[in-house]
Amino acid sequence: MSVTGSRRLLAVVASVAVSLAAGSVQAQTRSETLRYVTGASVNTLDPNIPGSTREAFAVSLSTYDRLVSFGRKQLNGKWVFDLGKITGELAESYEVSPDGLKMTFRLRKDAKFQDGTPVTAEDVKWSLDRVVTAPVLGKAQLLTGSMTSADQFKVIDPLTIEVTLPKPDKLALPNLATVYPIIFNSKVAKAHATADDPWALAWLKENTAGSGAYKIETFKPGEQVIMARNEAWNRGTADKSASFKRVIVQSVPEPATRANLVERGDADLVIDLQASDVQSLEAKGKLKVTSTPQYNAVTFVSMNNQIPPFDNVNVRRAIAFALPYDDMFKAALFSRGSPLFGASWADGKPTSGAYPIPQPVKLDLEKAKEYLKAAGVPDGFSTTFSFNVGQASTAEPMAALVKESLAKIGIKVDIQKLPDAQMSTQINEKKLPFFTEGIVAWLPSTDYFYRNFYTGNQRWNYSSINNPELVEIAQKARFEPDATKYEEDGVKLNAIHFSEIPQIPLWQPSQDAVMASSVEGYTYQFHRQVDYRDLNRK
Amino acid sequence: MAALGATVIRAGRRFLSSLPALFGVLVFTFLLMRVLPGDPAVFFASGPNAGKEEIEVIRKQMGLNKPVPEQLMLYLYDVGSGNLGRSMMTGQLVTKDLRERLPASLELTFTALLIALLSAVPLGVLAALRPGSIIDHSVRFFCALGVCVPTFVSGLLLIYVFYYLLGLAPDPTGRVDIFASLPPRRTGFLLIDFLLAGDFDGWWAAFRQLILPALSMALFVVAPLARITRASMLVSLGSDFVRTARSVGLPWWRVVVTYALRNAILPVITIAGIVFSTMLGANVLVEKVFSWPGVASYALDALLSSDYAPVQGFVLLMATVFVIVNLLVDILYGIADPRVTIG
Repeated sequence: MSVTGSRRLLAVVASVAVSLAAGSVQAQTRSETLRYVTGASVNTLDPNIPGSTREAFAVSLSTYDRLVSFGRKQLNGKWVFDLGKITGELAESYEVSPDGLKMTFRLRKDAKFQDGTPVTAEDVKWSLDRVVTAPVLGKAQLLTGSMTSADQFKVIDPLTIEVTLPKPDKLALPNLATVYPIIFNSKVAKAHATADDPWALAWLKENTAGSGAYKIETFKPGEQVIMARNEAWNRGTADKSASFKRVIVQSVPEPATRANLVERGDADLVIDLQASDVQSLEAKGKLKVTSTPQYNAVTFVSMNNQIPPFDNVNVRRAIAFALPYDDMFKAALFSRGSPLFGASWADGKPTSGAYPIPQPVKLDLEKAKEYLKAAGVPDGFSTTFSFNVGQASTAEPMAALVKESLAKIGIKVDIQKLPDAQMSTQINEKKLPFFTEGIVAWLPSTDYFYRNFYTGNQRWNYSSINNPELVEIAQKARFEPDATKYEEDGVKLNAIHFSEIPQIPLWQPSQDAVMASSVEGYTYQFHRQVDYRDLNRK
Repeated sequence: MAALGATVIRAGRRFLSSLPALFGVLVFTFLLMRVLPGDPAVFFASGPNAGKEEIEVIRKQMGLNKPVPEQLMLYLYDVGSGNLGRSMMTGQLVTKDLRERLPASLELTFTALLIALLSAVPLGVLAALRPGSIIDHSVRFFCALGVCVPTFVSGLLLIYVFYYLLGLAPDPTGRVDIFASLPPRRTGFLLIDFLLAGDFDGWWAAFRQLILPALSMALFVVAPLARITRASMLVSLGSDFVRTARSVGLPWWRVVVTYALRNAILPVITIAGIVFSTMLGANVLVEKVFSWPGVASYALDALLSSDYAPVQGFVLLMATVFVIVNLLVDILYGIADPRVTIG
């Protein structure tokens, strides 16, 4: 071998060694990074901004802290958030006065904002004032917990803040654990406020001033957010900083590509895959698939109770017995979720006061025909069935089955696929007679569901039901301190719901989180996103 | 030199004369967005509990609380001062969004067009040289295949084969590996920016990322380009000057390239111009499949959520690009055939 030859060989060996070393360095940073891919996108760093997406909520909860957060519990072997267990996040401890009118929060002494300044009761007050005063989304949310005015928040001393309520409200404390009442660094925020914008909405949309577990490294709306760990953060369950050094939240609109990415090991965690993909990934057994029924969400078929012929309860009953539930469940979700049909209620009484509960309905065309006869339309009628494009993958097969089945009892259905904005507009204007939608409640208690989705002339009352008895019980239940009585109220509400059938609950879809087998700690959260702080790599 | 100056002046005049058309597009899109069903304020106020009040806030933010003529005047004034409004989706100024995303789309489209031209012109020439032969039929078959397979299908197939099965391609998301660092932004074209920064590993990474989406777009437009090349080559090969060139004994490649192709290329340039403009807007599906941060997928998302400002901005941008491309085509015409001038 000549001298030049061996030199060349040496060079090759050296370059291979260098590239191998470089590779291992890269591999290491990858293992400390969580790469999360999703179909949706983050469009603001402040979840309060109208129009913010679900992805934005998840990012905000990592960059900001709240006073309190939900604990977690196991549901059929899977971790889910626990509405009944509120733990301190920025609050070291809290107490609710015996009459339920005062909540006092004592802040952690060591809590610091990301710029190093301590978190004070002043910051908390400013942040809570902002939620109930500024034109933000949190205003309507906190209303559901009887917090409506800045007067209700009082600074007792630099580390103590007191919240007063006009009435004891079960949902006041849980409301402070939702995504809106995050705590801002008020000094930083005020420095960027203007006369037109006293709450710094514009600045906080693109910048953060929080105390949370992660800092924003880069933020490209609609593309990706990269976050770096805040080493000083110690509000985790075991009093330590978050596990992953970096978190990449990337928008990948194509579900098939998301599935490929996680299967090839390039992404660590993905949610919102197509049910068929989840099923095949699960069958291959290489990845961890955690399917949690979204126990705070319901998919239903709704009928407008004010528009003929759906204003007739017998028509609604006929529909309820003419839907091919099993086939729909299989076609839309590959049976991934928990069904809300096919129950049997002993002597026709609801089995529980919880919402939602499986309804005693199943496909029974003879019964459906009888109801149509009773309604005075024995030969059926024509109507449209609408769903929005965003839900097409599940709603399209479902709509086809609805059309086919209703044709058997003489109801002609025209399927209408609407762009999302158009669908929301028509729902808001109460123009759709018959459609499918999904609802979610962050605070899934029976009265909350009934008050928000079955009362009032507002958008979320999809079926436009107006039942004074239901309204009265739902309002009363809200402030009912006695658990037994509350359960009785729930049973009554469920009974009214079934006798009126304003809309037909179908199922609770599963939240399928598909992750690398090394990722642990995934918990189903109320906002149906991933709390990155829960996760670690073993 | 004087000729060049004259060309520039004529081109400038041509551009100015297209301004009324751009204005028309602007007004038309504005009105069209407002007659479309779907209230953006309701859509964006879709968070839990968002009620009438939230809808009003958003309506005010988007300027929808004013009567339409007033909105139009305000909008025209804004556009005149270089402001295309703010996107509700991304929360950014539309001009900023478009500026960031346009290079991504252009880079992809240019590459795809280059690939398409480099394969379509030789294919068309080959087919024209032996009409009716097995080569001609295979070119026809290949073109038919390219056209009838929608871009998202070919895109997903390419991903499946080259990324998922073979592992040759990088993960098909975005313009560069997500763990790589970006070069300082100069032109917005990553391939150029990486070169300027002297980062060849980065260039290679960006290039690898670009191949699959560009390929799936190119496949789709090879057909029109190859077909037009073939047709116009056939005409040109059968013409008198080619027969003369052949009869004086010039080498065959010289006859084909210099005499036939040069004369046949004009319609190809025209079609390439049209193809380019349509590709830029129509590559929504490719951008979606490859998570490419381009303008087309941006506009589609905006349209679906009735986000007026980005859609209007996008249409205006496309109209401008179309005008510029047409101008370029005319100039190229002049180079290919000096008898043609732009007027």
